[in-house]
Amino acid sequence: MKKRYLSLLLIVLISFRLSAQEWVVPAENGAKLSPFAFSDSTRKAGAVLFQTNCKSCHGDPGKNNAIALVPPPPDPASAKMQGNSDGALFFKLVSGKGPMPSFKNTISSTDLWRVISYIRSFNEKYVQQIAPKSGIAGAAENVKVLLTWSKETNQVQAVISAMKEKRIQPIAGAEVKLFAKRYFGNLLIDEARNTDAQGKAIFNFPKDLPGDSAGFVQLSARLTDDAAFGEAKADTTLAVGVPTYRPPLNEQRAMWNVVQKTPIWLLLAYIFTVLAVWSFIFYVLLQIRAIYKAGINKNQDTIDS
Amino acid sequence: MSNSNKDTNNNNPQSDQNRGNSRRAFFKNFGLIGAATAAGGAAIYSGFKYEESKPNHDFVKVLTSDNRLVEVPRDSIKDIKVDVNRLQLQGREGLKGHRFVMVIDLSKCRNARKCISACQGAHHLRPYEYHINTLVMQESPNTAPYYMPKPCQHCDNPPCVAVCPVDATFKRQDGIVLIDNERCIGCRFCIAACPYSARMFHWEEPLMSVADKGKPYNIELNVPQKKGTISKCLFSSDRLREGKLPYCVSACPNGVYYFGDENQDAVTNGTTKVTHRLSELIRENGGYHLMPELGTKPRVYYLPPKNRLFEFKDVKDKTLEDQKT
Repeated sequence: MKKRYLSLLLIVLISFRLSAQEWVVPAENGAKLSPFAFSDSTRKAGAVLFQTNCKSCHGDPGKNNAIALVPPPPDPASAKMQGNSDGALFFKLVSGKGPMPSFKNTISSTDLWRVISYIRSFNEKYVQQIAPKSGIAGAAENVKVLLTWSKETNQVQAVISAMKEKRIQPIAGAEVKLFAKRYFGNLLIDEARNTDAQGKAIFNFPKDLPGDSAGFVQLSARLTDDAAFGEAKADTTLAVGVPTYRPPLNEQRAMWNVVQKTPIWLLLAYIFTVLAVWSFIFYVLLQIRAIYKAGINKNQDTIDS
Repeated sequence: MSNSNKDTNNNNPQSDQNRGNSRRAFFKNFGLIGAATAAGGAAIYSGFKYEESKPNHDFVKVLTSDNRLVEVPRDSIKDIKVDVNRLQLQGREGLKGHRFVMVIDLSKCRNARKCISACQGAHHLRPYEYHINTLVMQESPNTAPYYMPKPCQHCDNPPCVAVCPVDATFKRQDGIVLIDNERCIGCRFCIAACPYSARMFHWEEPLMSVADKGKPYNIELNVPQKKGTISKCLFSSDRLREGKLPYCVSACPNGVYYFGDENQDAVTNGTTKVTHRLSELIRENGGYHLMPELGTKPRVYYLPPKNRLFEFKDVKDKTLEDQKT
């Protein structure tokens, strides 16, 4: 009897251990659906995104060439990956866990759905369900984002408005993120803010962010909820940064630089040495000539006398 | 040709008439010869037309850039001359207004060695030829071991460039130190001068020397590689030109590498693609340079290996064995 209890305990423990490794997705997130139908174009765009962001760990779908990490990244074509609902996949892409990074601030949710559409192309049995259109979705194309900067407070203000019932109305309670464009990616400014009743979201801009030589920074404000607002965003260049000009790194005179950028002391020392050596040679030659001349004069003197 | 034939035909009957032959005979001959000439001419003409129209070219098999094998007529192939000078000039000049930096987070490196293989793939190197390598580090017997990826530090005061006698290795305006394999004479002074051992020498014929033969030399990729010259980490300057992260940075599965522009005070993680402030990252994590006492002013920062994300295997593992051989 005791043995039976022990084995039961063991089974419970093992199942606990297994479930601890599982990635639990909250029910409401798991039920989330894509706002648009998956098509060849979304799969194609998803494939490009997969190549640049996912392939380094998950490998090529269906080839089981994911890299050996703990826990192992599942192959996108595998039953383990395909067993997730669309919402669960979206949740995992957004939140990340352990070695799986969060793509919340780097890939827009529309693009994440495109990645999911690519992943689903490896599942023949998959039938897509599309999210029912929400109330504001009808206005998706008309969403406008306006960015302004107040110099006194060093704050960037985003005003979100949309055409609703044939009137331009502010959108309240929408999550907005502000990014500054950098060479390899977008830098999140401040944090995600919700718009107030006037459709305003205010971001504190850092005082020390370098802009170009005139202080201009390319800003991009995005609405997080793509399902409701579409890919609404505004790209504006504002003089919010610190004017930055840094000279090229190979401009200064240095030992390692090209001939034209030789250090002055080296140039002078070299020219002086060359001149010194040549003048010594000329001096010797002149002295020889003087001896020679003196010899001729002496001979002349002896002949004369 | 047929015209001249007809002329001779016309001449012949005249001489026949002079000899007293009948008019009938003349017409008979004229008709026969004329018909034969017309038929012959037509045959020659149609033959010529046929030869012209039939696909008489040689076909050449060509592998297209999207990896399809197609046949193309030999005479429709055109030689494209790649402007080699352009590659050289843009490679020497560098990207204006940038100062590239790399940040390596030692706490995240698990020695997956994906950076190494991506780099070797891009630059046509053998598995034991490194532009970047992950070293197994243990400062002293009582300190914690860790893995350390080590590329070229792209110093702002590069001793390797100072010793080059032929201006083959140089520093660009964006901070990248490159090597021109076409100028390099293989004296290896730079190898001796580099305190980070970042350079390698092609002692043997490079890996893809046969396949790369005749390709235009790209100074920003060091391909084709050349025997008897130096090769080194290039910060993937060909990728930076396109606004992409370097090969090693984007291949890392563990988020070890950040790469960016010091002028913009931003670095982007190659795995998560999240962009951070460079100054904040260095300040908050205690970033440091390798051997700062030498005054080389490296462009690569390291974040210390604290709170490492992995269990360190026994030091006598495969990596160390690899490095010995």
